[in-house]
Amino acid sequence: MIISRRRFTKAAMGASMVGLARPAIAQTEPIKIGWLAALTGPSSAPGVGFNRGVIFATESINGAGGVKGRKVELITRDTQGDPTKAVNATQEMISQARVHAIWGPTNSGESLAVTPIMARAKMPNIHPCVVDSLIDVQKFPNAFRIAPSNTQWDDAVRNYCLAILKLKKVAVIGDTTGYGVSAVKASVAGFKNDGAEVVYQANIDATQPDLTPDLLRARNAGAEAIVIWSVSTGMEARMMNTRAAMGWDVPFVGHPSLSSGEIGSLIDKPANWDKVYAVGYRSCSYGADGKLQGRNQELVERLAGKVNLSDTLLWWVACGIDAVELVAKAVETRGSSSSEAITGYWNSLSKYNGYFGDYSYSPTQHNGYPTADVVMSAASSAKNGAFALAPGYSGGR
Amino acid sequence: MPDTSQPTIHSDAPADIGWRVVLPKVLPLVALFIFAVLLPLTDNEYWALITTRAAIYWVLVAGLNLVVGYAGQLAIGYVALLTLGAYTTSVLAAGNVLPPLPTFVALAIAAVAGAVFGVVVGLPALRLRTFYFAMATLGFATIVTQVALAWEGVTGGGIGISGPEMPAPFNTAWGFLYLCLALAAMVTWATSNVAKSRFGRALIAVRDADVAAEANGISKPKLFVTIFLFSGAVAAVAGGLFASLQTYITPDAFTFELSLLFFIAVLIGGRGSILGPLIGTIILTILPEIAAPLAAWSTFLYAALLLIIVLAMPGGIAALLDFKNRKPLQSDRAIKPRPTLLGEILKRSGAGRPMTLKGIVLTFGGVRAIDGLDLNIQPGQVHGLIGPNGSGKTTTLNVISGYYAPQEGEVRLNSPLARGAPETRAGHGIARTFQTPRIVGEASVIDNVMIGGWIEGQSSFVETLMSLPRHRQDERSLEAAARLALRAVGLEELADVRADRLQHSELRFVEIARALMLKPAFLLLDEPAAGLATDEIERLGQLIKEISRQGTGVLLVEHHADLIFDICDEVTVLNLGRVLANGTPAEIRVHKEVISAYLGA
Amino acid sequence: MLASILASGLAVGAIYALIGITYNTMFATSRVMSFTAGQLGMLGGVFGSLFMLRLGWPPVIGLLASLGACALIGVVTEIVAVRPVLKSLEQHLYVLSTLALALMIQQVTAIEWSTEPQPFPKLFGIGSGVFDEKFWLPLVACGLTIAGLELLYRKTLVGRAFLAVAEDNFAARALGLPERNLRIASYALAGAIGGLAGFAGGQLLLAFFANGPLLNFYGFVPVALGGLGNNRGAVIGGLALGVFQQAANFLVGGIFSSVAVFVLFIVVLLAAPQGLFGAPAARRV
Repeated sequence: MIISRRRFTKAAMGASMVGLARPAIAQTEPIKIGWLAALTGPSSAPGVGFNRGVIFATESINGAGGVKGRKVELITRDTQGDPTKAVNATQEMISQARVHAIWGPTNSGESLAVTPIMARAKMPNIHPCVVDSLIDVQKFPNAFRIAPSNTQWDDAVRNYCLAILKLKKVAVIGDTTGYGVSAVKASVAGFKNDGAEVVYQANIDATQPDLTPDLLRARNAGAEAIVIWSVSTGMEARMMNTRAAMGWDVPFVGHPSLSSGEIGSLIDKPANWDKVYAVGYRSCSYGADGKLQGRNQELVERLAGKVNLSDTLLWWVACGIDAVELVAKAVETRGSSSSEAITGYWNSLSKYNGYFGDYSYSPTQHNGYPTADVVMSAASSAKNGAFALAPGYSGGR
Repeated sequence: MPDTSQPTIHSDAPADIGWRVVLPKVLPLVALFIFAVLLPLTDNEYWALITTRAAIYWVLVAGLNLVVGYAGQLAIGYVALLTLGAYTTSVLAAGNVLPPLPTFVALAIAAVAGAVFGVVVGLPALRLRTFYFAMATLGFATIVTQVALAWEGVTGGGIGISGPEMPAPFNTAWGFLYLCLALAAMVTWATSNVAKSRFGRALIAVRDADVAAEANGISKPKLFVTIFLFSGAVAAVAGGLFASLQTYITPDAFTFELSLLFFIAVLIGGRGSILGPLIGTIILTILPEIAAPLAAWSTFLYAALLLIIVLAMPGGIAALLDFKNRKPLQSDRAIKPRPTLLGEILKRSGAGRPMTLKGIVLTFGGVRAIDGLDLNIQPGQVHGLIGPNGSGKTTTLNVISGYYAPQEGEVRLNSPLARGAPETRAGHGIARTFQTPRIVGEASVIDNVMIGGWIEGQSSFVETLMSLPRHRQDERSLEAAARLALRAVGLEELADVRADRLQHSELRFVEIARALMLKPAFLLLDEPAAGLATDEIERLGQLIKEISRQGTGVLLVEHHADLIFDICDEVTVLNLGRVLANGTPAEIRVHKEVISAYLGA
Repeated sequence: MLASILASGLAVGAIYALIGITYNTMFATSRVMSFTAGQLGMLGGVFGSLFMLRLGWPPVIGLLASLGACALIGVVTEIVAVRPVLKSLEQHLYVLSTLALALMIQQVTAIEWSTEPQPFPKLFGIGSGVFDEKFWLPLVACGLTIAGLELLYRKTLVGRAFLAVAEDNFAARALGLPERNLRIASYALAGAIGGLAGFAGGQLLLAFFANGPLLNFYGFVPVALGGLGNNRGAVIGGLALGVFQQAANFLVGGIFSSVAVFVLFIVVLLAAPQGLFGAPAARRV
């Protein structure tokens, strides 16, 4: 909190001085990327996965000499998924560390709180959070989404249930967290809109020991598929066990966490995990030939021995790499790390070939992930953090 | 020791002394404030944010401090009120239920909602003690978040809602900082006023000596409702500011960790202090920023701090800063009462009516502790009450004081006194002391004595908050009266010493001084001579006698037969809850049954 | 449907009851309500999973080791958070010291164990549906505990000494009973009972660090309802709470069931602060 003499004079002398000083430094000054990560705490699994990709990408770039001689410097803050900590960390990155771009945060609750702050500071921001309202080119012209939105997840799930499995009656179940409640609501609205029948909907306390009553009610209501929106692997595993105990073979379709490695150890027998389909991505899915698409197959080979993929998801790692590279590419292409340069470059992207997906942004559209690449994967098929496509999708991409 | 023969030397120049006392307390606050005001010179909005956050948290903690630090109620879940305020302000400003309201109007409505809800959260404290209450507040914190989640149409559910936008000039980081600093300064000032008022003293009395609080006419329910209204309102305002600072709120922003921060800030700061909890709040807000790599361990750090505070320094930061009370006290001091001052204190006009007890029966389970007791206590007399252990002496005092409601019979003073209801007795001019002195150890001697003047206070809580003339008048007259009472019992030299540093015998005299504040028509003394040295007993006797000579009726329960026979005008002997004998000391001395039953051979 | 509500309700109810007994056992010898009661339940599950799944020990050894470890935590509670504040019982510092210790236990578990629920192994593999072992194990554990405590209190000298200390601390000390050792023993016993609750309920609640505060609250409700120190009240209160909670889960949905439990708790406490089967208030003056 000490007011250094230098900073004091700088502030007192005003902007002209700063303006003169900038270009001279810019040649060697590192490119500072703020990385708002939930690395510990209850919702830290994605953050840990992203972080592996982020570190890998940063080291690769710096190992190759940096971007036009400028190194990439990571400023990482562990927010623990707490919006309050995220707000503090964001302001610190903006005013104290003076980063050039911010990647993250990784949870929607945090992102909702920090996006307006970044907008005020015109901070280029790229994040993987799903809540639709986070992207608004009017209010937040500097915020870009690198992953699908909630709506895109919803579309993928609905599309799979209605168009591929050709089912008409679904039950929609979520947990009682903020995410669970809002996701169930949106999902139900979507299904009804498409003419499907939502025969049962519920929000269940994730600690509820026995889920038989809920599944019984869903079955009695005639559900042909259960759509699940929750990040609680404990509850999801219980649902799978209950389904097996009831001798019911209804498919479970829903949130990516259905494919989380945790589930494997929580289910009574491996077969309980069959007929469970989680949101996944074409870029990180094995085709019928059991292979990833060319670029990602390469990536997995490159990562082998350096980054552990067995206890995380490939898309998290790939997405982390893409995020860092998107910033680096912007500086490289535009020759500047100014806010305008970075957002300007991102706004010009069309089918940018990332590992996680082909992103396209324009000044009027900051949802860059292609909807067609959001697919369902067989939840129990994890290998190197990637999954097999759920049955019914055409071809090995 | 000053000469006892000069009855009036006090005290119309406290203003000068007052500043010398007040300045060291105010200076750190002013310094902190100036430091915060100068922050824009750094041109670093990060520090603006952190300082604003600390200021907002302090607005809440300042109110909570009255609940936890002063009233001693373990409200762990105060984040519930922050949540309520944040949502109320945001929802009203966004226009989800009504047309959008200006932010400050929304804040004001949130304050009202917070006040009401503060009472709802706090009310269990009237019936539930400690752990139960802690659990209840925790439960509240949980369900408020659940309701915010479930009530999606209004609160946005899990997606949340935008925080209120501040109008210019508060819509910049620095403008908002100044707004929050101004509010923080206001609550600091207001709660300091409360702390130094009869309300503040009543709160710590309820906390550390609730029995004595009742005897002095302090009604816990009324007092608590007032405090919960206030702390609820400021917590909700803090919530509104918090929402604005966060720019967007979701239920997951209101963590238990945050609640813990508020609670622990008070305890680290030290109970019964304003500056301590303020420093505690600042430390706990800044700590995670400095210790960013330890983010995962932050809850652990809070908990460890709490444990260390509880085990090693229960007084918190305030105790560390309390240099005054580290100076050793004079070791050969003696209590020298000045009974001559009593006339000035007990200015009761005319002789009152006697107090009568008629046919009192009180049973515990099947045991008749008092079994048809009649008693007459005359004004201006010392009435001794003696008897073997378990004969019902203290129980009789407790019936008169209203701690026990007798099954039969009544206590009359002009009209029958309410059964039970100990807090009504002070209003009838009945004061008392206790077998074990009921003193607030952490408060100064004079504060303890001033507790006795509770019912004399005229100023309302709101007047006190804003330090309006009536409050200042109250304080002046109460302090003058207390100093006088202390001089009368001979303890004026110790007036500003923390009470727990006094000797047991001195505490007995402090209790008497406190009782004198009431200008009692009747004074009930429960074994005042226990633990006193012979010369002290003698002086006590004179003091009691002189009190009665001012027209006060004294009911004296005592084991020291000499004292009883020396100073009593009338003595009643109890045995098994019944009157065994009644008469003048001379009559009792020769009463056969008394001699065989009690006085022994 | 009804069978399922009853099975899960009674099962969680038995766990709550055991946590309630944990509270009571600690309270009996020290007059202290400890926030660590729920954490002991949490640890019972975590230790069980650690010993049996991660280290691969057989169930019997796993059970004994879990109970032992929890008993040790109980003793640590006594030494760190209870004994130092006993002399100022009136100031209720124990609420703060045990809260602090409970938080530390939880945080260390979160960091060293996992923040995700971890599996707890099947012990016998007997029963299915509503007769699955995960439902009857807590009930059996609760029954055994009650029977064991009755035996201890009625038939053994140590048990009678416990009762004597619980009844009147000072008198017991005056009689020459080793009050401090008895207190340590009761905390060890309470630790084991809490651990048993977590172990027996492991398959139901999983080995999850966040179970602590949950059990703290839901284990406290039966104590509050049944009256402090009243084990029978705790068992009745616990089972009733479990069934009420599961019925509420079923009838009004997950979000409002905790609201329902909380409202019940507050209403009953305000109406009968000493609990439904409790003793009258102690004298104050």
